[in-house]
Parts: sequence; C-alpha cells; structure tokens
Amino acid sequence: MLYIFMLGYDVDFGHMEAVSLISAPKYPEKQVGYIVTSSLLNENHDFLRLAINTVRNDIIGRNETFQCLALTMVGNIGGREFAESLAPDVQKLLISSSCRPLVRKKAALCLLRLFRKNPDVVNVDGWSDRMAQLLDERDLGVLTSSMSLLVALVSNNHEAYWSCLPKCVKTLERLARNQDIPQEYTYYGIPSPWLQVKTMRALQYFPTVEDPNTRRSLFEVLQRILMGTDVVKNVNKNNASHAVLFEALALVMHLDAENEMMSQCVALLGKFIAVREPNIRYLGLENMTRMLMVTDVHDIIKRHQAQIITSLKDPDISIRRRALDLLYGMCDVSNAKDIVEELLQYLSTADFAMREELSLKAAILAEKFAPDLSWYVDVILQLIDKAGDFVSDDIWFRVVQFVTNNEDLQPYAAAKAREYLDKPAIHETMVKVSAYLLGEYSHLLARRPGCSPKEIFSAIHEKLPTVSTTTIPILLSTYAKILMHTQPPDPELQKHVWAIFSKYESCIDVEIQQRAIEYFALSSKGAALMDILAEMPKFPERQSALIKKAEVAEVDTAEQSAIKLRAQQHMTNALVVTDQHSLNGTPQSVGQLSLVKIPSISGDEHTSADQELSQANGTLATVDPQPPSADLLGDLLGPLAIEGLPGAAVLSEPNAVSGLEGVPIPADDAAAIVPVEKDTNSVQPIGNINERFYALCLKDSGVLYEDPNIQIGIKAEWRTQHGRLVLFLGNKNTFPLLSVQALILPPVHLKIELSLVPETIPPRAQVQCPLEVMNLHPSRDVAVLDFSYKCGTSMANVKLRLPAVLNKFLQPITVSAEEFFPKWRSLSGPPLKLQEVVRGVRSLSLIDMANIFTSFQLTVCQGLDPNPNNLIASTTFYSETIRPMLCLIRIETDPTDRTQLRITVASGDPTLTFELMEFIKEQLVGFPTAPRPPAPPAAPVAQPTNPAALTDPGDLLAGLL
Amino acid sequence: MIKAVLVINTQGKPRLTKFYGFLTVEKQQELIRSVFGVLCSRAEKVSNFMEVDSIFGPDSRLVYKHYATLYFIFVFDSSENELAMLDLIQVFVETLDKCFRNVCELDIVFNYNKLHSILDEIISGGQVLETSSTEIMRAVEEISKSESASNSISIVPKTVSGWRSR
Repeated sequence: MLYIFMLGYDVDFGHMEAVSLISAPKYPEKQVGYIVTSSLLNENHDFLRLAINTVRNDIIGRNETFQCLALTMVGNIGGREFAESLAPDVQKLLISSSCRPLVRKKAALCLLRLFRKNPDVVNVDGWSDRMAQLLDERDLGVLTSSMSLLVALVSNNHEAYWSCLPKCVKTLERLARNQDIPQEYTYYGIPSPWLQVKTMRALQYFPTVEDPNTRRSLFEVLQRILMGTDVVKNVNKNNASHAVLFEALALVMHLDAENEMMSQCVALLGKFIAVREPNIRYLGLENMTRMLMVTDVHDIIKRHQAQIITSLKDPDISIRRRALDLLYGMCDVSNAKDIVEELLQYLSTADFAMREELSLKAAILAEKFAPDLSWYVDVILQLIDKAGDFVSDDIWFRVVQFVTNNEDLQPYAAAKAREYLDKPAIHETMVKVSAYLLGEYSHLLARRPGCSPKEIFSAIHEKLPTVSTTTIPILLSTYAKILMHTQPPDPELQKHVWAIFSKYESCIDVEIQQRAIEYFALSSKGAALMDILAEMPKFPERQSALIKKAEVAEVDTAEQSAIKLRAQQHMTNALVVTDQHSLNGTPQSVGQLSLVKIPSISGDEHTSADQELSQANGTLATVDPQPPSADLLGDLLGPLAIEGLPGAAVLSEPNAVSGLEGVPIPADDAAAIVPVEKDTNSVQPIGNINERFYALCLKDSGVLYEDPNIQIGIKAEWRTQHGRLVLFLGNKNTFPLLSVQALILPPVHLKIELSLVPETIPPRAQVQCPLEVMNLHPSRDVAVLDFSYKCGTSMANVKLRLPAVLNKFLQPITVSAEEFFPKWRSLSGPPLKLQEVVRGVRSLSLIDMANIFTSFQLTVCQGLDPNPNNLIASTTFYSETIRPMLCLIRIETDPTDRTQLRITVASGDPTLTFELMEFIKEQLVGFPTAPRPPAPPAAPVAQPTNPAALTDPGDLLAGLL
Repeated sequence: MIKAVLVINTQGKPRLTKFYGFLTVEKQQELIRSVFGVLCSRAEKVSNFMEVDSIFGPDSRLVYKHYATLYFIFVFDSSENELAMLDLIQVFVETLDKCFRNVCELDIVFNYNKLHSILDEIISGGQVLETSSTEIMRAVEEISKSESASNSISIVPKTVSGWRSR
C-alpha cells in the first residue's frame, strides 16, 4: 500500500485496517500498522481518534519497542487531540530515569511535536528547570533531541529559559574544547557536529549573553572553532567541520562580537569564497551577504570584489545567484561603476534563467548609485541593447522619465539613441526608447551630421516593418513630433509622413488607427501643431518602480528586511538627485483627467478605471503606455475644446436660455433653480430633474443633474441600513468652476456624512465626493443636496433630492407559505397591519405591477394567494434603531376596475407599516409619469432645454473633429 | 525543521518519500517531479545546494547528494544548517550501507519497511533524532529482533490469506 502511495496513486482504502493493526498484540503487525498510519493519514483524519487510546496504552506500557513505535507515530502525525491526551505521559517518559535513552530521545521529539501543535501542553514555569536538568544529560542522543526541543521552546519564549543558557555554553565547551564524548558520536573526527550546530542555534535565540563569565567562555570556544578549522581532503569531514564553523559564524554575527572577531570572520569568508569546494564557496557567499546586513564591514568585503566577480562565472547556478546577490548587496557609490559594468559584461554570457534578474538588478544599481546621469543613460541603453528581451518596460520608462526631467541630459540621450539606431539589428525595446527620445529631443541635435529631421525620420522608419503593434503608436507619435520640429516645414518629409498616417488610418488596432487619424488631422493644421504637440511636461518625481519591484520580490525573512532597509536608505539618496524637479510635475494629472471627462456620464466604470490608472500612475514610477497617450490626447483635445465650446456652444446658449426664460419657475424656495442674477446668465438644467430622480430611485447609478456647466453623476451601493454614494462632479467647461459648495440637508431619519467637496473643479475634470448614509428609522422624507457653484460671474444654485429613499433600505426576501401565513395572522390589525382601499390608480396589469414591486426590492411571492388577481410581496427593512424587519404586502385588485385596489401592509413596527403603505400608494398612484411631489422638497418641474443641441460635449467635439 | 526526505532514482522514480507535513498525493508527486526536473539538469561537481523557494514555498532549502543511481534529497527550512543536513544524508546512507552491506537501489525497493524504520530512527517529526550510525544500527537491530521474536507470520502471507478468506 505504501509503495502504491509513494508512486503517486491515491490510496483511499485500507485505512481502517491499518488503524486496527495498531492494536494488534504482535510486533510486526503493530509496526506495519504504525508505519502505514503515519504515512497515509494526516493529523486531522477521523480514524486517528480511534487509535488514541491504543497509542496511549502503548506509551504507558512496559514494552519499550512498543513505546518507541507509538512515540514515533505521534511524533510524526500527532495532532491537537493527541497533544491534549498524551502530553503528560510523554513528559513523564522524558524525565524518568528508568527508561532507556532510546525511548527518552523519542519522547523529547514527540513532545516537541505536541508542543508545536498545542503550545499549552508545556507548562512554562515548571518545565524550564527540567529542561536545564535535561541539558546535563550524558547520553548524546537524548541531548541532541533535548536540544531540538529547547530550540523550539526558546524560539517561542526565551525569557523563561534563561537558566538553560549557561548549560548550552557548557555543552558547547564540552564538545568543542574537551572533546569529551563517546567514540560513536564523533563523526569523521569531529565531536557530534549536529549537537554543536543545534547548541549554537539555540544560543542564537537568546538576544544576548549577559553574564560576563559565560560570555568569555563562549567566545573562547567560538574562537577555537573559527581558528581550528581548515579545508581538508575528505569531503565528509570538510562538510562536518564547516557546518560547525558556519554556525559559529552565524552566532558571532548574532552576538555582534568585538570588531576583531568580526574581521576575522570576514577574512575567513574571503578565504572560503576562493576555495575549490563548491559547497563552501556557496555558503561563503551567502554568509557574506548576510554579514553585510548585520554590521559595517563593507570595506573589508570590498577587498574581495574581484573574487566575487569571478564567482559570477562559476559553473553552478546556485553559486552564481549567490554571487549576484552579494554584488547587489555590497554595491555603493564608490564601486557602482565597476560592478555595474561587470554585470553588463556578464549579461551577454549569462544563462537565460538569470538574465531578467540580472538586468533588473543592474538597472536598479545604476539608478541608485549613478555618479552622473549620462552614465546611467549609457548603462540602460547598453542593457537594452544586450538583453532587450529581459528588460522590462519599467526600466525604459524610467530612463525616459529621467531624461525628460533633466534638460542637460536631453541632447546627450538623443545623440546616444541616434547612435544605436544605426546598428543593423536592434531590439524592439531599443526602438521604442530611441524613437521616443528622438521624437522629443531630436531638434536639439539638428546641427550635428546625420541628424537632420529627414535622416532621423528615415533611420526610425527603417525599423517600422520590424516592430510589433505596441511600438507602432510610439513611432507614429515620433513622426508627428519630428514633423512639428521641422521648421521651416519640409514638404517632402511632410508628404512622406502623411502617407504613413493615411496608411494606418485603416489599421485594425484601435490605438494605431486613432493616432494616425488624429496626427494626420493635426499635422494639416500647420502652425497650430506647435502648440498641440509641445514637449512633454516633466514627470512628477516618484519612487522608482524598479526598486519597488525589487522590494516586493525579496522574500521577507529577517535578513532580507535588512536589505530593504538599506535599499530604502539608498533610495532616498537617489531621489535627492532629481528632487528639484518634482514641483513641475503637477500639470500632468490635469491632463489626464481632462481625458477622463470625455465619456461623460454613462461611463461610470470608465472613469473609475481611468482614475485607478492615474492613481496607479501616481504611485508607480513607470510611464505606462497609457498615460503618454492620454496626455497626448489631452494635449490634442485641450485646444480644440477651447475653440469649440466657448465659440459655438456656450455663446449660443445664453440666447437659447434667455429664450426659455419664460418657463415658469415656482416661487417657493425649494425651487430647483435659484437664479442669483436674473439675467441671461442663469443656467438651466438639461433633462428633467424629477425624471432623473425617479430613475435613480430604481437604479444605483446614473445622472442626478446636468446643466451646461456641470454634470452630477451618482453611484450608490446599499447594504442593509448603510449606503455609500459617490457624487461625480464633472466640469464640462474648459475653465474651472469656482466656489463649489455642496451641503446636505438630511431629514431626521437619515444620518448623512459628505466628505469634503473641493472648492474648485478644474477644467474638464471630474471630482468624486463620497457620501455615507445610515438609515435610523423608517420615513419617506428625502435628503436634499444644496449645490452651488460660480461659473464666470454667475452664481448657480440647485437643490436636488438625493435618491436615498425608503426602498433603498429594503432587501428582497422570499417567504414560503409556511412562513407567511402564521406571520400574517400574528400581525393582526392596526397599527401593525394597515389596510386601505385606493382609488384612482393608474391601470396596470398584474405583471407590470409585479415588475414595479421587484424594482423596489420587494419580492413578489407567486402562488401564495389563491386568488390570481391578488399579489403578495415580501421584503426586509433595515434600519439602525429597529432590528431587520420582515414586511408583508398584499394587493387585491379588481379585474373589472383596474383603477381601484386594496392594499394591506403588515410589519412588526407601526411606523414602518405606515410609511411603507404610503410609499406604495405613492408609487402606484403617481408612478412614473406624473410624480406627485412628495411632501418636503417640492421640486419644480423644469422643462428640458432643447436636448438635441447640447447634450454632450463629446458629441460636439466629435462633430468638430 | 526538515520538511521532506526524498530518495529518487536517476530516472525520476521515487524510491522513498517522507513528508513531515501533510500534503495531498497530487502535490507530493508534483513536488517530486519538479525537484527531479531541476536536479537532473545539474552538472557533476557543483554545490549540493539548491534554491527551491519556487517549489516548496518561501524559506526552504534543499540539499541533495548523488550516489550511484540515487538522489538523496532533504528539504528543510532556515532553522537547520545546510552542511549539517548534508552530513545527515551521509549518516543515512552509511547506515543503510551497514544495514544492507553495500546498499543498492534494489535493497531499497525490497526492504521498504526497514528503510522506513531506519529513517524513523534518524528523523522524527522533522527533527534530527539520532546522528550516530552505530546507535541507529543498534535500534534497528532491536526492531528486527523483536520482529523475528514474535516468530511469526510475516506480513505478506497474512494479507494474502486475508484476501482468500474474504
């Protein structure tokens, strides 16, 4: 069975038989039972419970071989239940003097397992003394096991086991100095290396060694180990002695000994990384990396730099990786140039598995420690040249960012890019970088030979057939930019570029097609091109994505968190270099937002997605392929919008509005529009506010209000009595909206918190204002949003009802007949159950009515009422003050007269019943054509202003384009 | 703590597997396969360490030793010393050697339960139990003595007769 299991087949039979074999009296049967059980079953298997009793009998029994078997099994698979029932017995075995060592060492490890499963089994107070006693043990087998147990206990709580510390040191002395152990425990002449290693491990869990005497003797032993070890012929002996040695090194690092000892260690490690034995070389490199983090031994380690670099060429990939890690760790400003150049050289010969890591690390180092930025550009360009496949986009985005932010660098980078373009075969990433750089900055080179716009264009254009669709848009932008920089315009070049644009106008890739069309249109505008395709603004300074990535990639062990710390320190240094530019970065975000605005209301997801993108962009240092294009479009659309909107739409609109001035605006102060200046500047809403409100009562997102200047969208999430609304305030104009104010006038039953609304909304930007709603008790009153803003000289003020209405706090629930009828009967008569005959109802078919109910979150229960003309619905109402309340509704209709019906509403709360009744009446009587205005905020019925003319600026723009 | 002990032959067939944490059969096989995939691509005369974070999850190390047709592989976490583990493999193999007089793959295949009991004497629940091969031998001999002392019925016939009677 075991064999089958090992070969990888699922063994799901015979478990019971195995478990029952455990209780067999004969040894072989028992043994088979134990072995199979411990291999096949996991600790939570039900069958194991059956075995606990037998196991216990074996443990407390007199037969030692049975004891061993049982302890081994428990040690391997014992779970919590075992821990609870067996721990005392196992402890007793461990400290009893009558047992043989064989049993006791098993007991120690068994206890360890039980302790891991359930730390409570070891009573800390009493046990530390016993632990100390155990460490006096003469038998090394028991001692080894006890030491393992101690390591676990100490790592959990070192406070309680202080008393064991001197004992550990004594053990170590006994082993390492006195060599006082039985013959069979020396392993290739070394006194039990495992025990030495374990002991030193245990010591590492204590924060320090305080007692001076203990400390002195400990260091004496360590010194002896450090000095007394030499590389010998015999592999096994070598391994054993170095196991001890490396553990001693770790302990020295942990105790952070005097500098003398530390430098001794480094010297030793330096020796190790040069030896022939690969294992030792590997560990030497690893420990050096670890040492870097612990203390300040940089300078000593730097002496071994050449040796480490040779290790990069080791045939063993494990060693190469270690060497790379170490180089990465030891790099600083003084040696960065050498190391990075070494890495670059190595890159062309390195194996593929390592190249990505290698290039990433080289890029990070180059960025962190660059002595000057032109060197950095050199390095990255070389990197791309040598290992383009392994250079992630982040790396080249970062370079572009650096170049954009440093004016001095621009001509240099452009010249470099030009050089690389002359190479016969270059990687696509290189094409991207070069094209981008040349597009932006080639005009800075104009006077150099071979750098006239035409030559640059043809150099870039040569690469076009070889690149993929992601690169083509970049090339197109470059062409447009080159065209723009060519002053005076070169008709031949222009013709050529236009031909390319028109070729891609029918490209299947949307991005390419859009760019081609836009650039074509733009470039035919002549001089205007200059403004539109201006140089990219500087990027806001951000944390390097590369460093971030490296941080994430690093595993979070203690030592590596130290790397991070160092990396962060370096990073702050690196950022200082370019800090002065960070102020210039702000316009970009606006540029992005302006694009976001175009899809207007309907694209709620759109906007949020874009917002996410811009957020991501804020934190990441990369220039995602998206943002540059967004920016470009923003650049493109900006001027157009200025031409379009103020000229055509806005100017003509006041006239239209003034023509509509006569629309009756109710005089009461709940008016939707309160014109501050009663002249032609007042704004009229687009669309019917009431209709929008009623629509929003039924759905969770949509437009609440729109006028020529602003659009207010809403998106809501409702959960029980809580709601979260987000108001999207979108400025439709190309000038900012000032003095924006939003106030909420909540009715008593709602608690509403509106987050801060910014005072100005930038041009064509959209602002989000989250809004938290909590329902206190049932009511039909509606919250009102008092919103005002200043646009130019005019002040606009609107009062809008927020769709936080009763039905938003309902949740549909299906009720079965068995639940319904008892409940219905138990709620008898007013005020819990109300009945009313309503006349003058719009005539609705039953199905329509059911649909209306469903849209209000009422579940229509089919077949509960025997009369097919009746309708039964149920729902749950949530509020803060009363518990979730089941509401039952029954509508009886008269098939002969559809305008008349009888409504019965029942719930456990009188107010709720009443409010719900009124609510349903409103909906059925008024819904949806001629809404009878609910009591408090009497909103006026505003005429929609001729919607066809100016619905959406997007349409307008499209028309213009 | 030691996470797993594997013995795989050079064809990638597992000969002994012991995991000290519960894993499903599929997972175990997957791990064995991926470990073997990495191992067989390594040259002679390189270090005995591998980074296996990608296979066994973070904080795991692997040491292996190659004897004739078998790889002996120990997987463990950072609380153990790599070289000490390498020594432990050596002890394990030496013990097997003493036990079978020049151990070979076939011995391992045919003395399955013996192998398990030897391993159980060396490692228990992922911790090193005994490091002296003499001691281990003594324990194992004791076990085999008590096996034969109960003079019995070796297991195989019993199972077979069990089948017949059903």
